[in-house]
Amino acid sequence: MDNVNVLIVEDTPAEAEKLVKTLKDNNYNVLAVVDTFKEAITMYQTARPDLLIIDIFLNGAPEGINIAEAIALSPDGAKPFVFLTSATDRQIFERAKLTNPYSYLLKPFNELELLYAIEMALEKFYKQTDVFQGDEENTIISDDYLFIKKGKSLKKVLVDEIIYIEVEDKYCNIITSKEKFVILISLTKILKLLDDTVFYRTHRNFIVNVKKIEEIVPVDNLIITSGNHKVTLSDNYKDIIKKVITLK
Amino acid sequence: MSAKFIFPLLLVCFSFVSTSQNSPCTKEEVINAFVKSDKFKQAYNYLSKNSLDESYKLIKELKQESQKTLDKDLEVFTLFIEGELHRKNKAFRKSIETFQLLLSKEPPRNLTFYTYLAMGNIYMSGLRDFGKVNLNYKNAEELLDGSSCEEKKALLYSALGNSYLLNENYKEAEAYYKKGLKIYVNTSNFNEAATNYSNLGNLYFEKYEDRKAREYFLKALNTFQKKDSTNINARQRVNYNLSAVYEALKDYEKSLKYLNQANVLRDSIWNSDRVWEIAELEKKIEVEKREKRVSILEAENKVKSAQRNGVIISALILLALLGVSVYYYREKVKTNKIISDQNEELDQLNATKDKLFSIVSHDLRSSVNALKTSNKGLINSLKTKNIEELDVQLNSNSAIVNGAYNLLDNLLNWALLQTKQSYFNIEPHRLFHLVEHVAYNYQALIFEKNLDFKNDVSKKEKIQVDQESFKIVLRNLMDNAIKFTKENGKISIYSQSENDEYINLIIEDNGLGMSEQTRLELLKETTLLSKKENEDIIGTGLGMQLCKSMIKKNKGIFNIESELGKGTKIIVSFPKVIADG
Repeated sequence: MDNVNVLIVEDTPAEAEKLVKTLKDNNYNVLAVVDTFKEAITMYQTARPDLLIIDIFLNGAPEGINIAEAIALSPDGAKPFVFLTSATDRQIFERAKLTNPYSYLLKPFNELELLYAIEMALEKFYKQTDVFQGDEENTIISDDYLFIKKGKSLKKVLVDEIIYIEVEDKYCNIITSKEKFVILISLTKILKLLDDTVFYRTHRNFIVNVKKIEEIVPVDNLIITSGNHKVTLSDNYKDIIKKVITLK
Repeated sequence: MSAKFIFPLLLVCFSFVSTSQNSPCTKEEVINAFVKSDKFKQAYNYLSKNSLDESYKLIKELKQESQKTLDKDLEVFTLFIEGELHRKNKAFRKSIETFQLLLSKEPPRNLTFYTYLAMGNIYMSGLRDFGKVNLNYKNAEELLDGSSCEEKKALLYSALGNSYLLNENYKEAEAYYKKGLKIYVNTSNFNEAATNYSNLGNLYFEKYEDRKAREYFLKALNTFQKKDSTNINARQRVNYNLSAVYEALKDYEKSLKYLNQANVLRDSIWNSDRVWEIAELEKKIEVEKREKRVSILEAENKVKSAQRNGVIISALILLALLGVSVYYYREKVKTNKIISDQNEELDQLNATKDKLFSIVSHDLRSSVNALKTSNKGLINSLKTKNIEELDVQLNSNSAIVNGAYNLLDNLLNWALLQTKQSYFNIEPHRLFHLVEHVAYNYQALIFEKNLDFKNDVSKKEKIQVDQESFKIVLRNLMDNAIKFTKENGKISIYSQSENDEYINLIIEDNGLGMSEQTRLELLKETTLLSKKENEDIIGTGLGMQLCKSMIKKNKGIFNIESELGKGTKIIVSFPKVIADG
């Protein structure tokens, strides 16, 4: 599991410092703190953050909105962001609203509010609302990563590293080459959100990353994956053999 | 001898008039004997009254009628009155033509006689063709016989006498006059007899037989019945002629006498004519006067009706003006009332603002003052290195600053709310997390007061609110709860799902509580700030006011349950998020 990378766009050092501290305390990885449009765009393109926190007012002008707009239209793909502001100015927010999806955080904020805003931004951006606040789920799935809520903080796991998933009631055991952990997500939802050309269902309770399959033993109803994991293959899902063969 | 030239003319005129005016008896008899239709009678009446146009119209119709029905009598009689009509109209040639046409139609004997007579008269007095006069009269004479009436004969003889006199055939003239005279004397027609005497006088005068002329003129004068105004013309002429005769006889005294007599008669003729004219004129003037009066009355009527119309129109205009002005007056009164209402409201608001201003500045002043005093203590503690005291003082400083900050925050939010500047966006939120976020800031205070705080809000409950305004409400309610709860007290926040539409958020403490009066005061919907009762702990009332406004804006409901000394329950209901499908 990796930390979530955050890019902060903030011109007030004290505020920036507070942000950095709070994020670090909660296991976020702060890539950089920048305070101009140019820097923000450059950093966005080079460091590829998972999330941005943008102060709307930079050096007295609502430059933050321009940055958000530029990111939303970025050819490298947009990322979620949180607007940070001390003014409850209607007009500014009306404009900010046009850069949907967004989440906002009003100064002064406390730790909980910051984390909440980040979670909201992710939920809204990946259109998987009401995930982190409830008890039933704790994971958002994007094309590249799983974002998993661990305690107060968020973690991410590269989707490509997943070898297979074993479903147990409301839980899913995720087995990667490095580790094994449990997330809260329903089977139907995970099947819907994962790329179905890569992840195949081999059993009522198993989803396998095709790229990680080493060997299929139909006689034993077994699939052997990289890392020598053994996954059950049920009769209902034996079509996978053809697909794997054609793939190879 | 100028009189000599005048006489025949006068004489002819007179005889003409006498034949046409005195003959009707017989001529009328002829015509009346014939009359068959009313139309003919009408035409003849019009002719007698000299209404020539009307008569001519009828004559034309009669002619057509007679040609249609081949009624020969009607035709000839119509032609006769047509001839008469032309003669009256002085169209003598036309008249002659008509009479000749008549004669060609073989009319009755009587009518033929009168036709010749009429033609003779025309030639004599109208066309002055004296040769033809005699011819016509002679033709008429041939028609006379023993059965012919005396009147007719006398008429013709007088006419023949006139004719011969004009032709200077005195012998024949004398004979015819005498014949006529004899008949008139026999029939006692004195006027005509006198005329014949006068004619004979003229005749002898022409023959220079003055004495004979005098004799006849005197006879004529004696024959007239003097009082008769119908023969006044003749008498005047006879007198005049007598005067001329006496002049010729050189008896100037007599001549003058008769001339005077003639003049007197002339004047009286003239006068009688004048009387007629005057009467006519008077009639005309009277008619004109009448007409004038009528026209004046008409004009007056017009003026009156115009005046009446004017009065009506101006009354209407005035009425309309009155209506309009009443309308505007009422409008003005209305606007004035609105303005005064608004003024009152503005005054109230202004008073509220002033009060708020003074309270806020007072509170801030005391806060800053407290800080000042506390800072002095801090400096002392630092000097004496009293670390424990330092900690206490710092904590109290932080509490003071917190209070001041909250006050300012509310003030800012109030201003934003009033100017409608704040961003407002209702979204679904998990109630539990929002409560957590707010409570997080009070951890220190709760710890300091050693309060038992619990967030028992259901994690499942989702509400439709604007995040920031909800937090403002909750912050104020938390502030109050902590403020009014004694140390080691208990504060709990929990939710109740009242129904499908609302969730109740309850902030319960076991603090001071409030009186019923205060409770009602707080719930009252007013822009005025509640009174400051408890100087130490009760603030501006701005917080509560803000809460109520924000809850209202979020379509929530605010309620308080409290008992003095036992604690307070603040209940805020918010709209639920209806679970999808």
